[in-house]
Amino acid sequence: MNQRGGWALIKSTWLSWMQHRSFFFLLAFMWMIPPLIYLFVWSTAAGGKTIGGFSRGEFVAYYLVLILVNQLTYSQTNWTVGDVIRSGQMNTLLLRPMLPLYDTLASEVAGKVVFMAFMIPVTAALALVLRPEMHVTLRNGLAFVPALGLAWALRFFWGYWLALLAFWATRADALLGLQDSLVFLLAGQVAPTALLPGLMREAATVLPFRYMLGFPVEVLTGQLNTVELWTGFTFQAGWLFVALLLFVTMWRTGVKRYSAVGG
Amino acid sequence: MRYLRLIGSFVRASTQNELAYRANFWISLLYALLNLGTGVLGVVVLFSQVETVRGWDLPATLALLGVYLIIGALRNLFIGPSLNALAGLDGEIWAGKFDFTLLRPVDTQFLASLRYWRPLALVDLVLGLGVLGAAVIRLEQSLTLPRLVAFLVAMGAGVTILYAILLAFTALFLWSPGFLFTWAFDAVFQMARYPVGLYPGWLRLVLTWVIPVGVMTTVPAQALAGGLSAGTLIGSVALAVGLLFGASALFRLGLRRYTSASS
Amino acid sequence: MEDRVEAQIIVRELCKVYRVPEREAGLRAAVRSLFRRRYRDVVAVDHISFTVQTGEVVGFIGPNGAGKTTTLKMLSGLLYPTAGQARVLGFVPWERKHDYLRRISMVLGNKSQMLWDIPPLDTFHVLGEIYHVTPAELKQTLDELVELLEMQELLTKPVRNFSLGERMKCELVAGLLYHPRVLFLDEPTLGLDVSMQGRLRRFLAEYNRHNDVTMILTSHYMADVVTLCPRVILIHHGRLLYDGELSALAERLAPFKLIRLTLSNERAEDEPQLPPGADVVEQESGRLTLRVARSEAPSITAHLLNTLPVADLAVEDPPVEAVIDQIYQEGDV
Repeated sequence: MNQRGGWALIKSTWLSWMQHRSFFFLLAFMWMIPPLIYLFVWSTAAGGKTIGGFSRGEFVAYYLVLILVNQLTYSQTNWTVGDVIRSGQMNTLLLRPMLPLYDTLASEVAGKVVFMAFMIPVTAALALVLRPEMHVTLRNGLAFVPALGLAWALRFFWGYWLALLAFWATRADALLGLQDSLVFLLAGQVAPTALLPGLMREAATVLPFRYMLGFPVEVLTGQLNTVELWTGFTFQAGWLFVALLLFVTMWRTGVKRYSAVGG
Repeated sequence: MRYLRLIGSFVRASTQNELAYRANFWISLLYALLNLGTGVLGVVVLFSQVETVRGWDLPATLALLGVYLIIGALRNLFIGPSLNALAGLDGEIWAGKFDFTLLRPVDTQFLASLRYWRPLALVDLVLGLGVLGAAVIRLEQSLTLPRLVAFLVAMGAGVTILYAILLAFTALFLWSPGFLFTWAFDAVFQMARYPVGLYPGWLRLVLTWVIPVGVMTTVPAQALAGGLSAGTLIGSVALAVGLLFGASALFRLGLRRYTSASS
Repeated sequence: MEDRVEAQIIVRELCKVYRVPEREAGLRAAVRSLFRRRYRDVVAVDHISFTVQTGEVVGFIGPNGAGKTTTLKMLSGLLYPTAGQARVLGFVPWERKHDYLRRISMVLGNKSQMLWDIPPLDTFHVLGEIYHVTPAELKQTLDELVELLEMQELLTKPVRNFSLGERMKCELVAGLLYHPRVLFLDEPTLGLDVSMQGRLRRFLAEYNRHNDVTMILTSHYMADVVTLCPRVILIHHGRLLYDGELSALAERLAPFKLIRLTLSNERAEDEPQLPPGADVVEQESGRLTLRVARSEAPSITAHLLNTLPVADLAVEDPPVEAVIDQIYQEGDV
């Protein structure tokens, strides 16, 4: 593994992205809005009472955490993988003494840092205005970190293997759009998973999408008891394993096909 | 009239351009259905937990969603594609091809606004009308003629406001070509999915007076669901006319600046 | 309405200055630029004056960034000048009157105005509508142009599949289908292969002869200028350095000639005796290239023929590129 190359890549990516910092701040702003909308809708709906055990302040807290977690787990590079394959730039990347994966990861890290530079102050300001209610226990705080890490990995690799379909079909990005919609519905954006009606809630618990986004949020805001916590981690790890498997398979077969067909 | 003939030839050329890619049709259809599905489900999930929110019940909110989808469809029909071709990510201004447009012996604002059409947006339009129709049937108030007229006027004002805002943003792009104003607007436009009354007071003011997305969808929906005062209707029409003049002036100013300061 | 003005294009003291943001490399500068932007004034066009008669073909030459394209853009109405005046066809270009825009055309070498995914004929129809060309006129003009440019099979294929040369042909048709009186060409042969360049040059020369269209052309390829433009305007650092015939420019700048010698093998010696005033530019086995002052060329040639075993001899003008290069480097005529 080429460490120095990796760091140099991250630093140069970050520098060039800071040039276009308004672009990335704009992206961060855009991604923040949908959860914000639901923050307002639910907290207004709750009013002075509670809905499904959530008070107004708790809705605010849930969604503010969701905004941050969404930003940290969203894999913006998945969209570019398809483009890279289609445009033939993959050839350049395959020639480097580093897996193209590291190129993507470098973009991820650089991107996250830039986005956080925008998100953290904005979220803090929103918290001041909207007054969230949140009680973080030590157990939840500690469990949050691995939950977040696994969520990022799951979302990244799941999106990546879908994007690798670009090796076969030219408009694989339509599938990424579908994935975004499913995440939106079932991962805790439209409503916290606990509030989803019957069938949707069961689907959400089983499918991987909740574990990309909603699960860490639920961990931190203290919605889960110990049993639910461990069940959640099991599902998360399980889906991550599946995603990695799919990713490796897609990559190997895809590169073979790519070089055979000639890019 | 010459300008009508020009529009006809634009529509023809754009339709041929669209039909060049078959895959586009199916993908557009997919995205339209996803858009519809996530929107409707979002509203349904909310009202599975509460009966009304600040006076809005399920049918009324669905009607508003229908209005939102219809306005979005009209935007995607010609306003969006035309202005986007100018100021979008791959647009003429960015790619340095704006010169060709400036060289034409036709009013630049006319060209910029009506040049490109996406007939596939008619699918979104039909879906939006469907949702609207379904919601109207379940409304408590019946649809009378005055109410229908008020609705149509409000819709007209809403679309005009949308056009004016997007035109203004396109104009701003002439000053600062790096910042993708229309993207920023897209994010805020999402807020129009829900009645503006659901948002906290300060946000309601912003969405009515600063970036009037609230007016676009809430006013027509109120015309149908009841609760629309004549004053509000007249106010929205006045706002539409004012914004139209302002945006057009801004656009012309931007053209002057562009041709003076660029190279 | 006939355009009866004395000269078709009149330019007086035209100037263009614009502000450019600047930033140094490195991390600290990147952070600083978050708070404050610095600007620099760049003079793109510096008091340029010239006139062009109807039907002339004028070449703008000069290094990159010299101000050629900026001048062209001011004349086509795309840019407002900072100072100075110009009249083209009796109009002030930057007023951008529709009547003016309908009489001029601009062809950009590396940018296409064609709609990408549809056959060029469809774009031509839209342009015909925009420029008030009646369907009958359009058909006739298109037929003529398509025949001249030999592009019949291209008409029904989507533009995105075309080669660069084929796209350029479409650009020319698009630019000429409404019979403009003035044609501005910015690097029209950029990136084309040699044979296509030649064909385009021939087309432009032919079109100019037939239709008396005034043309202003910028190009980096000397062959374009040499073939098409009897008159050149040299622009460097925004200033007009020379306005006149290209050959006269070469003569003025490079008052020397090149003599190419081939020596026969029989009396091959290591160092041939050269007369004074002859500098060796190139020397290969048996072949010499000498540079001599223009005025001395005849006498030195005679001397060489008498004293050396010359198998072949040619006297040439220095290549135009070398002359122009020299100007670019020295920055002055």
